[in-house]
Amino acid sequence: MTTTDKPAQESALGSPSPDEPGAQTLTLSVGPQHSGSGHMRLIVELDGDIILNAEPDPGYVHRGIEKIIELRNIIRSIPVIERPSIIDASNLNHAWVKAIEELQGVEPPARGQYLRCLLNEMNRIMSHLYWLSIYGVFLGHTTMFMWPLGDRELFIDLAESLTGARITYSYLVPGGVRRDLPQGFAEEAIKRTEYFEKRLDEYENIFFKNPLFTSRAKGVGVLSRQRAIELGATGPTLRGSGVDADLRKDEPYAAYGELDFKVHTRPDGDSYSRVMVHVDEMRESSQLIRQILKKMPSGPIRRKAPIVVPRGEAYSRVESARGECSFYMIGEGGDKPYRARFITGSYRNMAAISAVLQGVRLADMPTSWWSIDYWPVEADR
Amino acid sequence: MSLTHEREDSLIKTLKENFPTDIKDATTVRRSRINVTVAPEKIVDVALFLRDKLGYDHPTGVSAVDYNRESRFEIVYHLTSITNPAQRDILINLKESVPRNTPKATSLVKIWPGVENFERESIEMFGLQFEGHPRPEKLFLNDNWDGPPPMRKEVRFPTD
Repeated sequence: MTTTDKPAQESALGSPSPDEPGAQTLTLSVGPQHSGSGHMRLIVELDGDIILNAEPDPGYVHRGIEKIIELRNIIRSIPVIERPSIIDASNLNHAWVKAIEELQGVEPPARGQYLRCLLNEMNRIMSHLYWLSIYGVFLGHTTMFMWPLGDRELFIDLAESLTGARITYSYLVPGGVRRDLPQGFAEEAIKRTEYFEKRLDEYENIFFKNPLFTSRAKGVGVLSRQRAIELGATGPTLRGSGVDADLRKDEPYAAYGELDFKVHTRPDGDSYSRVMVHVDEMRESSQLIRQILKKMPSGPIRRKAPIVVPRGEAYSRVESARGECSFYMIGEGGDKPYRARFITGSYRNMAAISAVLQGVRLADMPTSWWSIDYWPVEADR
Repeated sequence: MSLTHEREDSLIKTLKENFPTDIKDATTVRRSRINVTVAPEKIVDVALFLRDKLGYDHPTGVSAVDYNRESRFEIVYHLTSITNPAQRDILINLKESVPRNTPKATSLVKIWPGVENFERESIEMFGLQFEGHPRPEKLFLNDNWDGPPPMRKEVRFPTD
């Protein structure tokens, strides 16, 4: 032996015993360059290829919208409100005008309410289709990327004929909506929704029964019912864990109280369940669009509402594509709110990301995570 | 629509009976909306009661409001119930006020894990402190942000 009394050389990984649990973990930064859709980062801690922990790191698309809307009048804020989720603009817009109307005590006329629901449901389908196409990207399924994006145009065209814009409509204003139905809209919408439902049957066969999808989604990324509730999850993420919560039923607003529809849930809480809740909802919304057009009463579409936020506070809640979107608004009597807290579905579901990814293999991370339908821009606001 | 708020009023009655001195104010704002104001040192007790006895298990968010003219911040926990389907629509705003110069509150993450991100946002945006918060780090702001908490009322946009 030589004179050295130095300890045995440490392994290359810096741990004296590579067999120790946790000794060989690796921390990986996923993102922030479009790790999904929109910039955000996931900090993933791995043991082999098993995810021990995944922390979301949001904020890369934070625009300070809560501050902006404190400084602009309520009408000028409408286009700003839509920005966090331009693919679901109508539902976000709805939460905003609903908070204002609650404070003003203004109730839009019935036809206006139906028109709001019409665009909301079209938006729900458009948003779900966009989400599904990105899911296809994560699966490496090119057809699943192309078809939903292509079929989304069916509804984009309809929305354009109704509002004048393809995606950001600013269609809902305090007191009602901006425009009435254009001529021939109902016939066209019925044709398109019926065609779309046939397309969903094709999706079923080519995407959702496909082992490429089921093997990576069934039993993967499980979020238990109890965990989903305590984390405050909402929308399809909550319903995918077996909770039948949907504000359109639980606290019916606009015309939803007069419409007949089902709240779709799945009991298992895995990626597959969350995906299938989205698919069932598209079918339901498609049916709802036809129902709305059939039941829509005639009459005015808008009631006069002042550009003022009366003193008081309101908490508006609507069921957007990604779950509950709400505004906690405090008025002082001016033309802008004193405070308008903007809580979106994605912001709430951010808490579910870690829970879903724990124990999942790295290769299954994109699909498990994306099944939550987390939209970074909507979470950051 | 009935003008009485029986369900809301009975919830308030139960709360007042159990916390006769700790609840400073409890009112029905409108249908399905209740405001409950408590003393900051009692918020944990009231929160536990809301969760375990009244079924308020589903937090929908936390808001902070800067009442700079009154030198206070108001922290508002927005709570709903999933276990109690009959009152899914009834949202409780659980409020507490902290002084603006020492904005310290108790974190409720242990009671509702879902409020973690919301409290974190209030820390960075309003400069609040939540004792017992597991991760009082920046959420949306850059880690190296050294400006004032941007949502405070005295912070203005350069263009305003």
